[in-house]
Amino acid sequence: MKPVDPRLLRYAGAARAFFGFGAVLGLAQTACIVAFAWLVSSSVVDALHGATPFGWRLVALVAVVLLRSVLVWMMEWNSARGATIAKSQLRQQVLRALPRLGPSWLSTRSSAAVTTTLTTGLDALDVYFARYLPQLILTALATPILVAVLFLFDFASGITVLLTLPLIPVFMILIGWATQTAQKEQWLKLGRLSSGFLDVVEGLSTLKVFGRADRQVTRIRSVTEEYRASTMKVLRLSFLSGFALELAASLSVALVAVSVGLRLVSGDLGLGVGLFVLLLAPEAFLPLRQVGAQFHAAADGVEATEEVFAMLAGAGAGVAVAEGARDADGTAGSPTGSRADGRLVVNDLTVMYADTAAVRRFSAEFAAGQLSVIVGPSGAGKSSIVAAMLGFVPFGGSIELVGSGDSSERKASMGLTARPLGRADVAWAGQVPGLMAATVGENVTLGSEHPSPALVTRALALAAADAPDPALAPSNRLGVNGAGLSGGQAQRVAVARAIYRALERGCRVLVLDEPSSALDRETEARLIAGLGQLVADGMVVVVVSHREAFRAAAAHVVRVGAPIAARTVTPAAAPGTPTGTRRIAVR
Amino acid sequence: MRTADVLRLAQPRWRLFAPGLIVGVLGTVSAVALLATSAYLITRAADQPPILYLSIAIVGVRAFALGRATFRYLDRLLSHSAAFRGLAELRVGIFRRLIPLAPDGLAQTRRGDLLSRLVGDVDELQNLPLRVVQPLVTAVVVAVASVIVVWIILPSAGIALAVALALAMLLGTLVNLRLSARADRDLAPQRADFADQTLDFVVGLDVLTAFDALDARLADLARTESRLTRSTLARAAGAGATAAAVSLLSGLATAAALWFGIPAFAAGVAAASAAGARATAGTGVLSIGISGPALAVIVLVPMAVFEIFGAVPLAAGAWRQVRASATRVASAVPDTLPPEIPAEPRVDTLIASVPASIHVPVPIPAPIPVPVPIPDPVPASAAAPTSAARHHEIGSAKFVGTAGPHPQTSPSGIDVGLGGVGVGVGRGGAAEFAEAEARTGARARDEPLLQRVEARRAPAIELRGLGASWPARATGQLRPGQPALRGLELSIPSGARLLVEGPSGSGKTTLAHVLVRFLEYSGSFTIGGVEARTLAPAQVRSMIGLCEQNPYIFDANLRQNLLFARETASDDDLLAVLDRVALLDWALERGGLDARLGERGSLVSGGQAQRIALARMLLADFPVVIFDEPTANVDPDRVERLLVDLLEAAGPERTVILISHTDVPAALVTQRLRLGTVGW
Repeated sequence: MKPVDPRLLRYAGAARAFFGFGAVLGLAQTACIVAFAWLVSSSVVDALHGATPFGWRLVALVAVVLLRSVLVWMMEWNSARGATIAKSQLRQQVLRALPRLGPSWLSTRSSAAVTTTLTTGLDALDVYFARYLPQLILTALATPILVAVLFLFDFASGITVLLTLPLIPVFMILIGWATQTAQKEQWLKLGRLSSGFLDVVEGLSTLKVFGRADRQVTRIRSVTEEYRASTMKVLRLSFLSGFALELAASLSVALVAVSVGLRLVSGDLGLGVGLFVLLLAPEAFLPLRQVGAQFHAAADGVEATEEVFAMLAGAGAGVAVAEGARDADGTAGSPTGSRADGRLVVNDLTVMYADTAAVRRFSAEFAAGQLSVIVGPSGAGKSSIVAAMLGFVPFGGSIELVGSGDSSERKASMGLTARPLGRADVAWAGQVPGLMAATVGENVTLGSEHPSPALVTRALALAAADAPDPALAPSNRLGVNGAGLSGGQAQRVAVARAIYRALERGCRVLVLDEPSSALDRETEARLIAGLGQLVADGMVVVVVSHREAFRAAAAHVVRVGAPIAARTVTPAAAPGTPTGTRRIAVR
Repeated sequence: MRTADVLRLAQPRWRLFAPGLIVGVLGTVSAVALLATSAYLITRAADQPPILYLSIAIVGVRAFALGRATFRYLDRLLSHSAAFRGLAELRVGIFRRLIPLAPDGLAQTRRGDLLSRLVGDVDELQNLPLRVVQPLVTAVVVAVASVIVVWIILPSAGIALAVALALAMLLGTLVNLRLSARADRDLAPQRADFADQTLDFVVGLDVLTAFDALDARLADLARTESRLTRSTLARAAGAGATAAAVSLLSGLATAAALWFGIPAFAAGVAAASAAGARATAGTGVLSIGISGPALAVIVLVPMAVFEIFGAVPLAAGAWRQVRASATRVASAVPDTLPPEIPAEPRVDTLIASVPASIHVPVPIPAPIPVPVPIPDPVPASAAAPTSAARHHEIGSAKFVGTAGPHPQTSPSGIDVGLGGVGVGVGRGGAAEFAEAEARTGARARDEPLLQRVEARRAPAIELRGLGASWPARATGQLRPGQPALRGLELSIPSGARLLVEGPSGSGKTTLAHVLVRFLEYSGSFTIGGVEARTLAPAQVRSMIGLCEQNPYIFDANLRQNLLFARETASDDDLLAVLDRVALLDWALERGGLDARLGERGSLVSGGQAQRIALARMLLADFPVVIFDEPTANVDPDRVERLLVDLLEAAGPERTVILISHTDVPAALVTQRLRLGTVGW
């Protein structure tokens, strides 16, 4: 770590004022230290020389002591405040960066690790901002002043201190180099250990099924022991710099004491100066010692925030991608127009993940007023098509809404009133329900500014989530990630959430990804009936499903093959579907 | 688990802790002694005595200077190492207590909270020995020693120092208590809240984006964070006040030493001159007054002591945080099992003595009379590895006698008591499997593993008046105390293919959890004629395997995700199993067995996760297998194929209980159970 990480100061700009104030406090405190040492040594010396009246000195001493303690309190408060503000600023920036990085970025990360970085990971910066940086400022200000005072009173002691002082940073840099790589490894290990322990706890039921739970005790112990061993390896080196620091400080005190003593014996020096120098010499080392003591903790903190900087940098680079996919955001059509003529046209859609194509040149058309179902084997890219519709992934080709709803345009050919699909046009429920710690009702009205209880009830009913089931009552409070609901219940609440949005905002398109995978046939049938009502209202309803019931109910089935091709099939028993007969050629 | 138990777990044993403590005390004593000796040296030197008189002081100054740094270094190393050792014990201790609860006793524990508890709080507990016990003990020892030394020189100054130190102790901890007790109490739950909200935000980022709820969520998060910030600052103010109080008392102690010391010195000088004697060399403690060097010592010692004593209020603050974390850890792990969860026998004492390779960790004292199924050697040895050639022989079990603790070997050389599972569980495990492998020799080794293991026959299962309910903590689906299953009558003969149907909430998963003893039951549930209640749950689970609805995929590679089901399996075995579940091509595409599967299987689709779970079931070779919705996320055109594969892979000898809401071809099942809605 560099003494001062410029990125931290840049991202935490709001904290700068606090550090400036801290410098002023530090100067005042240095003055107190000098005054205290002088008052104590002169009192003792005067007493030794037989001058008994020391009253005014004692009063002055108490006054200095009082002032010093007030300064201590102010410095603590000031640096804590600076640290908190700096941390909060960083945290908010990262939280805002996450949406820019987007869901596809997050899917490559461990959500627990990202959460840890944002919470306890950033807390590691406390030492940096609250302890290290203020001491660094103090060192820069107080140490030269104290050394100058030493020189002023006793040249020889000044030289001793001046020569030993630089040893500290030199040692620290040398040892720092040696430990730097080891520290990086340790941080990686710490992350692995923390998510590894959680992994074991979360997989406990699976481990129990296989009779492996008890065995994990050995594993946890060995992983923790490995962590201890590797950390101790780093600490043996890290603490060496502390050792060098302590040694330099205490040896220089010893050197000053011995040399002062010898010069006193020969009569070259007065006792007053000798005592004063003895009191002041350790103080000259104190700020630097504090910096050294905090250095490794601070470096760990900065190391821990490398991930944060990576996210911030990534967000900067990721903007173009995400914005590109989202620029249709603001152009959502008027929500209440008659939607019956809308068509969702996907043309030549290609989605790439790294070098692999998840979807290649997929084209399809989804008309309003009919239930469209996308089918295909696992891994064929169905979910990637949905992600592209939502603008979660960069894609090639186009996804457009055609026919904006004016009935005079009924005969308008495709393309005439086409505009890119915006996120505001889409209501969606994914494979993972993604519920949050809130009531069922709050989950359903997610993103709504004026939640309507009546609409909640309706959405839950359409999603077949209105059984006399207390878990699905709008007032039922769920835990983090929707804990407290079964898979099927969570799935229906997620579908209700999408339906609520579609109804409240008048979204043209409702996209559901495997909405019934955890439902029994009766409930699934009710869900299909509910979706039928929305279809009848003229919504474009696209369901990704492998379930027979959905396929049977669909007016339009789009089959996605392996990532090579896609073709549409029209069920024989679907007469009168407006676009059903249209075959979309691929390749 | 009580808070005291957690704290006891967190404090390393005395044997580990003592070396660090002793060295720590030596280090701080050296620090005080360095300043005292230096002060003495200088003041004594001012009298210009022969240099010889100073040599001991000079040596002392140098020795203490070296000692301070060296002891401090050793102290830090020793105490950190001891704290880490304690951490391992703590993690293990907590995990052990989670084992019997999982999964149904833990259902209501929120995940973000679990994260914050087990990672944050456990790490926090490491501070108990490091930042609480060690600094407190060291400071008190050094303070007492210094007070005694000063008291010997000048009793009044000693008393003043003692008063100042005692006041600093009281005031520091009291002020600390006043100002930050509330902040500390609020801080940990607020941190947990913030972590929960952050986790919801991170996990639900796609949902929040799609629902335009990002800004509202960010505002919520900012509000929670500013509450957290306020509490943090309140605590900082408390810590600051503490440091200020200590600084004040330190200065006052020096002033007091001057106040008492200077008159005492004057008195000493007067007494000395009155006696007409020159003070002899050394620390001349006179009956009335003190010498110059002694004055310097009593004035400077308080400064050095207080520098060390500054750690006391900090230790008090650390203690409160440690205690709060310990309380939360304790509450996460209840003392008693809910009655709905079957109790596990204590196993930790046994684990240590059982070699790591044995995977059935619960020896039972006496062999249990489980009927031993002897396989019909013909289908087993004739079974080709491909599903096409497999026989569908159902219900041809032959029960012969009862099992002893030793595996029996069929004429074909196939180990019947394979893994000791189901029969003579006491000695079971991979060790016997390995033994059997060694016995059967190269011939068996040439055969694919799947072929070798398909020799086990399932015990019959009888359910009479079976009922079950979920613990009150897991009341997501049912009201507490409401039975999820009631009065179930069912016979599952060996080798049956049972299909369990029914709407959501009808108790299908409850039944599965009862069968693997995740949930306690009422009524009767016998396995091979033995009441399941009389067996250890782990024994039952060695006979009945459950493929969960959402199989857990560990954040590791494919090999590790399979291998724990059968640790003796070779890579070829694993690939063969992957082929069986139609995952081979997929796996090879991703780099084979080294392919990483991501956190909670984030890099695999639902269907692939199911197939991996199936592969594990096949590897583990349970005589009875329960599949909870295995086709939930599998293509319709592959469902039937998968079910056929799966039932064939299970072999004719194995009992399969299939929970499904999709239609299963009639030819594949021998028995159907339809569950209705229970309760409301």
